[in-house]
Amino acid sequence: MSKKYDTPLLDELEKGPWPSFVTEIKKAAKKSEMANDELGQVEKSYRTKRGYWKHGGIVGVLGYGGGVIGRYSSLPEEFPGVAHFHTVRINQPSGFYYSSKALREICDIWDKYGSGLTNVHGSTGDLVLLGTTTSALEPLFAEYSSRGWDLGGSGSAMRTPSCCLGQSRCEWANIDTMEICHQLTHKFQDEMHRPAYPYKFKIKVAGCAVDCVAAIARADCSIIGTWKGKIAVDQDAVKAYAKGGMNIQAEIVDMCPTRCMSYDGNALSVDDGECSRCMHCISKMTKALKPTGEKGVSILIGSKAPIVVGSLLSWVIVPFMKVEPPYDDLEGIIRKIIEWWDETAKPRERIGEVIEIKGMRGFLEAIGVPPVPQQIKEPRKDPFFFWKEEDLTK
Amino acid sequence: MMDANELKDKIFAYVEAAKGKKKLKEKDIINGVSTEVGAEKDVVKKAMREMIDIGKLMYSYGGGASSVEIPSEEYLREKGLIK
Amino acid sequence: MAWLTDAEAKAIRKTDIGPPHFGQFLPPVLKKNYGKWKYHERIDGGTMVHVGESGDKVFTVRVASPRILSTETIREMLDIADKHCDGYIRFTTRNNVEFMTPDEKKVDGLKKDLKAKGFAIGGIGPGISNMVHTQGWIHCHSACTDASGMVKAIMDELFPYFDGSKTLPAKTRLAMACCVNMCGAVHCSDIAVVAVHRKVPEINHDLLKNMCEIPTTIASCPTRAISPDPAKKSVKINAEKCMYCGNCFTVCPPIDIHNPENDGVAIVVGGKIGSLRTGPKFSKLAIPFLYNETPRWPKVVDAIKNILDVYAKNARKHERLGEWIERVGWERFFSLTGIEFTHQHIDDFTFMRDTMRTSAAFKY
Repeated sequence: MSKKYDTPLLDELEKGPWPSFVTEIKKAAKKSEMANDELGQVEKSYRTKRGYWKHGGIVGVLGYGGGVIGRYSSLPEEFPGVAHFHTVRINQPSGFYYSSKALREICDIWDKYGSGLTNVHGSTGDLVLLGTTTSALEPLFAEYSSRGWDLGGSGSAMRTPSCCLGQSRCEWANIDTMEICHQLTHKFQDEMHRPAYPYKFKIKVAGCAVDCVAAIARADCSIIGTWKGKIAVDQDAVKAYAKGGMNIQAEIVDMCPTRCMSYDGNALSVDDGECSRCMHCISKMTKALKPTGEKGVSILIGSKAPIVVGSLLSWVIVPFMKVEPPYDDLEGIIRKIIEWWDETAKPRERIGEVIEIKGMRGFLEAIGVPPVPQQIKEPRKDPFFFWKEEDLTK
Repeated sequence: MMDANELKDKIFAYVEAAKGKKKLKEKDIINGVSTEVGAEKDVVKKAMREMIDIGKLMYSYGGGASSVEIPSEEYLREKGLIK
Repeated sequence: MAWLTDAEAKAIRKTDIGPPHFGQFLPPVLKKNYGKWKYHERIDGGTMVHVGESGDKVFTVRVASPRILSTETIREMLDIADKHCDGYIRFTTRNNVEFMTPDEKKVDGLKKDLKAKGFAIGGIGPGISNMVHTQGWIHCHSACTDASGMVKAIMDELFPYFDGSKTLPAKTRLAMACCVNMCGAVHCSDIAVVAVHRKVPEINHDLLKNMCEIPTTIASCPTRAISPDPAKKSVKINAEKCMYCGNCFTVCPPIDIHNPENDGVAIVVGGKIGSLRTGPKFSKLAIPFLYNETPRWPKVVDAIKNILDVYAKNARKHERLGEWIERVGWERFFSLTGIEFTHQHIDDFTFMRDTMRTSAAFKY
């Protein structure tokens, strides 16, 4: 395609060391009229300071209620190439690993049916293909699915689960995040593709409390790897860190939130019973410190962005649970959690909001989890609490 | 026990009655129809899903939520279900 | 390449197959040492090595991505992966790209080819990795600023913290959301930009009549500012109660919240995700409003640079931005950064009782 628009404002965003999205759109525009008109419309937005997209519409592949987000330009006559500019969400493989063969094939199909623009990856984790037409959706889906790729979730459904890279390349991972994510994704295919929930539901799996996938802030169900045993200390490695210039007293011992460590200038010791497993010392002295003993997950529930009555971080519900392939126990508790939410929520209420409205007790009882102090930062402050008949006879 | 086609007719009628008035979620249809005709929820769900698979009904999205609707002619044409 | 016909498509389509198993995409050295990694070390701002219990090593070189990638650029990456990395590639949760090789001797050649193709190497260690962001004017109906352009302008300025030529007391996570829906969940970032509205939306009553469920629209408002307008078969908005969240616009498009003259961005600071040392934290308001200055948002860039410089100068090693602010106090944050404190900083929506000071001890 030849150049169609002058883009003096966007051209300013091709200067500087950081890679430019404008260059990417221009690259795609060499082959795609859609990308060309995208460039023109975005330049107009930079001029007028407003977007020109309509609300999502009713598009998708037959039988599915998600995976495609309808997008239409509000200026289809001015920018006909983006009259339809739908998004396709391709469910990413766990850990975002690809072979060049597989990713090239994804690109080839996309060039055939779409704008050639992508997000690798979108916020939830899907490989996002930006910009195609309604008539391309069925053949596009047939090509991807016949080659082993499926659509991710959208709408009032289970959203595409995602995870950190876990044990594939990280010594801190207490659990096999990628396998858990893969198995859960396969167990919830129906719930991902056919929106039957009150609202979205996200699952993210992190290998440890460093939480590189932001599970605790971004998932309705945050699964975070943890351990129960001691921290093994390699004293030779400790000495090497000290020799390398680390101030172990200031950087490690004094920054420990529970003050469970001590250092005599020679050896580092941990009062393991008092360790809260925050990962500070382990992440800073990874050669010297290693969690041992039983490994498992903490399950936290409820996080979401602020829209609309405030953001939530996930709450600890199950402090520790052992998990093993094929992760049926984990699936079981997640299904119980979702069942309670599905029965209880009004439309567009996330699970964290529903627990806040209905109370934690009903939720815990429904999923069969007892109250334990690990779930709270502090007990309630007011004297206005509910009693059930059964409590009175205890 | 109601005939499968008869059940599908009831489901269709239920969705049609709400058209333009209320966006129905899957659950609204399952609960509504199962109460109306006295069928098991799973049976209603299965019948509704079969209707969605062949384009007799379709998933829709609007107002920040997903729903189930009767497909437009445009949709049916795009899916090759009508000429 | 011709499109598939309807019949061809129908014949080969599959449903509910889920994603392919990651096993087939793992470089052999990762497969061999899966679950048996011993430690890792940062070599420089864009390179690290992971060492397995077996003694095997894998070297990772990370490069920046603008998140929006053309298939052409992806193919350029794959060519490099074929040449140096046995045909494997990986993306990070923050949209960067990783090239891995078990062979230390290949690292220099890999970096040379990446640089020759114009890829920016960095993002490892106590600095700034990629800035997580949303779609903006590129693709979203709800955006009230652009995301990619602002991120580009900010990351150009902060580039020395990406490529490792400058470091910070701890890693600093930046994020950008182009409206308050915050698709990128920027609410727990060290520094985040969130686009905001400041005017009551305008209602197109004729469209609303046909497009929206009135009870749903009324229920969408968290401050109960929306009530029925029976004469118009529509709704009306109590301007005094509206705090411009745009939730009504999401459920009912004819309630248009966009207002180019008055839309802009806020800057929030001090959030974190990990449980290290102190618990995960939400980001809190630092600057309530800056105008949309396309194409490069110079005031937004300067404001972030200022916050980052003050943090770099004052925080202790390993202390995240929010941890530093908690140690010195928010009154000190405002005095050191010179940011003006306004009525907007005091929560008058949901969290006032948790956020007012209830102690007689504070600083000047």
